[in-house]
Amino acid sequence: MTKQNSGIRRRLSALVAVPLAGALSLSACSTSGDAGGDSGSGDKQGFSFLFPTSTTTESPYEALAKKYTAETGVAIDARKLPNDSYGTSLRTQLQGGNAADLMVVAPGRGQDYAVLPLAEAGLLEPLSAGSTAVVPDAYKALLEQDGKTYAQPTDIVPVGIVWNSGAATEAGAQFPADATAMLSLCQDLTGKGKSLVALAGSAPPNVGLMAMSLSASRVYAQTPDWNQQRADGKVSFAQDAGWKDVVATIEQMNKGGCFQKGAAGGGFDAITQGLARGTSLSAFAPGGSATEIMNNAEGVTLEIRAFPPAAGGKQYLLASPNYAMSINAKADAEQKKAAQTFLEWLAKPENAAEFTKIEGQVPISGVEGAELAPQYATVKDLLAGGDYAPLPNLSWPNPSVYDQLSKGLQGLIAGRGDAASVLAAVDKAWDSK
Amino acid sequence: MREVSPEQGAGGGDIRPRRVRPLISYGHWWWALPAVLMVVLVHYVATAGGAFYAFTNWTGVGAFDFIGLENFRKIIDDPTLLGSLKNTLFLAFGFLVLTNVFGLMLALALNRTLKSRYLLRVLIFMPVVLSPLAVSYIWKFIFDFNGPINQFLGWLGREDWQRPWLAEPGLALWAVLIVMVWQTTGLVMVIYLAGLATVPPEIEEAGALDGAGTWGRFWHITLPSIRASTAIAGTLMLVQGLRVFDQVMALTGGGPGGATETLATQVYKETFALSNFGFGAALALMLTAIILVFSALQQAATRDRT
Repeated sequence: MTKQNSGIRRRLSALVAVPLAGALSLSACSTSGDAGGDSGSGDKQGFSFLFPTSTTTESPYEALAKKYTAETGVAIDARKLPNDSYGTSLRTQLQGGNAADLMVVAPGRGQDYAVLPLAEAGLLEPLSAGSTAVVPDAYKALLEQDGKTYAQPTDIVPVGIVWNSGAATEAGAQFPADATAMLSLCQDLTGKGKSLVALAGSAPPNVGLMAMSLSASRVYAQTPDWNQQRADGKVSFAQDAGWKDVVATIEQMNKGGCFQKGAAGGGFDAITQGLARGTSLSAFAPGGSATEIMNNAEGVTLEIRAFPPAAGGKQYLLASPNYAMSINAKADAEQKKAAQTFLEWLAKPENAAEFTKIEGQVPISGVEGAELAPQYATVKDLLAGGDYAPLPNLSWPNPSVYDQLSKGLQGLIAGRGDAASVLAAVDKAWDSK
Repeated sequence: MREVSPEQGAGGGDIRPRRVRPLISYGHWWWALPAVLMVVLVHYVATAGGAFYAFTNWTGVGAFDFIGLENFRKIIDDPTLLGSLKNTLFLAFGFLVLTNVFGLMLALALNRTLKSRYLLRVLIFMPVVLSPLAVSYIWKFIFDFNGPINQFLGWLGREDWQRPWLAEPGLALWAVLIVMVWQTTGLVMVIYLAGLATVPPEIEEAGALDGAGTWGRFWHITLPSIRASTAIAGTLMLVQGLRVFDQVMALTGGGPGGATETLATQVYKETFALSNFGFGAALALMLTAIILVFSALQQAATRDRT
C-alpha cells in the first residue's frame, strides 16, 4: 500500500469514527435512561418514580419514597419535575418510551397529564385489585377505563378559599356568610388599605381555580351531575344560570375592590406575600398550599373555607383526589411488579394515613373518623356530610375547556371581552374535541 | 480545411495537458457529507415529518386519523388565532421599523468623531448578549404594579397614572415591543456600523464640497452605500419579529385574555399545553409559510438593483 493511500484511509477512518463514537455515546446515554431506574439494593428490585414539585423544599412524594426505602430496603430513583412543565414532559417521556416506572398523574381527562387519555393510548399499566379497592365509587369514572383501574389515588385535596384568620381578626373582619356580605366586606377592607382576595391575575390557572371554587355552591350543589348533563348536551355554560352567576360574581368582585391593587397583573408571589403580610385576607389555592405558606411564614394562621354562596345558597366545597399514581406500561416486568408492590404498601391504611399527614391533605376515605390538619377544621362538617363535588375540570373532556375559562376570565378582569363571550368560548372548546 | 484548435496537434489529436493534482489540497466536497446528512435529517426530514402531522388529529400520544385540511379550516375560523396573527404582524413590523430606525441613528451617531464611541457601542450592544428570558424577567419587574415605573409615578404624585402595564389589553403588546426593541437595537447598530465602515469619507467630503447638506449626504451617499446592511438587518429583524416567543411568554404569557398571543406562543400552547399536536403542527406550518413569504418580499424590496 502506498503512503498516500494509507493517509487517505486514516482520514476516512477518522471521518467515520468521530460520528460513530458520538452516536455510541448518545445511545449509551439513552440506554442508561431506559433502564428504568435504580436496580435496588441487594436482591430487591428498585424502580423510578416521577412526580411534580413547585418548591425547593422536600416534596411529600420524596419523603414517601424515603420512608418506603427505609422500611423495605427497596431503592426508589425519585425524579422530580417543575409543576408548570410536568404534563408536557410526562407525555413526551411516555411517548418516547423513557418515562419513569411509576408516576404521578391527574385523574380524569381535563389536564395535560390526565390518566384516561394516557390509558387509552396504551401507555399505562392496569393496576392490581389491591389498588382498585382503594378507589371510592365516586371517583371510579376518573380513574378507570373499560373496567380496569389505571391510577391509584392517594388522598383528597379540599379546594375552596384559603382564609387568613389572624389577619381577619386584626382587621375586625368575619368570614362572610354570602356574596352580599362579601361585597360589603370588600368595601370595608379597601378603606383600610387591605383586600379580601389576593389574586394572581397574570396566571390564568389561578383565575380558573377561582371560577371553579365559586361554581361549587352555584352549579354543583344544585346539579352534582352537571358535567354529565353538559356531555349529554342538556345544558351549556352560556345558558346555565349557575355559571352566569359565577362570572357575574367575579365581575362584581373586580369592580367592588375585592382584589388587591394591580390584581390583573399579579403573579403567584402576590398570593404568598398578601397572605403572609396580612394585606389580603384570602386567596384561591388548594388546601396543601395553606400548609406550605404556614410552614414558611411564622405566625400566620390559615384555614380552608367554602367560598361564600349566593344569598340563600348552600355552603359547598370542592374536594377530590387531584393526584394519583400510575405505572408505565413500557417498564420492565420486574420494575412494574416493584412499583405495584409499592402501591399496595401505600394502600394500607396506616401508610396512607402517614402520607396524608406528610402532605397535609385529607384521607381518601373515612373522613368522619380521621384526624384532620387544623386548617381543615372549618370544612370537616362539609367533608363528613358529603357536601362537596370533585374539582370540575377533572371530568371536562379536554384541557382547552379549562384554558378558555381561565383565559376568558383573565381578560374580563383586565377589561377585555364580556361574560357571554367568555362562556360561549368555553362551550366551543368543550364541543370542539 | 478543418480548423485545428491550439489544444490539438496537427493531426487533430487531443494534446490538452493532464489535470495535475495541486501540491496543497484544501479539502473535498465529500468531507461535508456528515454535516449535510445531519442538516438534512435534523432540519428537513424532521420538519417534513412535523408538517405531516398538520393533516392529522394527533394529540401527542396514541393513534391518530388523517383529517386533510380540517386543522387549517379551524385556524381560519378561529377569531382568537386571527387575533394572534394580527399581534404577530404588529410586533414583527413594529420591531423591524423601530430597531432599524434606532439602530441606524445610533450607528450614525457613534460612527466617527465622538471620543467615547467605543464605550457607548459596548454599552448599547450589551443587552444583545443577554438571554431574552432574563431580560424579559427584569422588565417584568420594571412593569410590575409595585415596580419602579409606578413607584416613580407615585413619587411624582401621579398615582392616577399608575397601572398594571402588562395586564392592560391596550398597553401589554406595546410593552412587549419595547422590550424586544430595547434588547435588539444594539445588534442592528453593529450591522449598520459595519456598513458605514465601507463608506469612504472622501465621497462624503466631495458631496459636502459640492454643497450637499447633512440630510442630502445621508440620503444620496450614505444610505445607498449601506444597502447591503439594510437588507441584512431588515431580513433578520423581520424573521425574528415574526417568530417572537420568549419575550411574550416571560412578560405576559399571552395575556391578558389572549391580548398578546402570537402565532409562536399559540403553536407552543396548542401543541404542548393543550395536547393538540396536529393543530399545533398546522399552525407551525402556517407560521413557516408566512415567514417565508415576508422574507422573500423583504429580500425583493431591499435587493441591489444597480
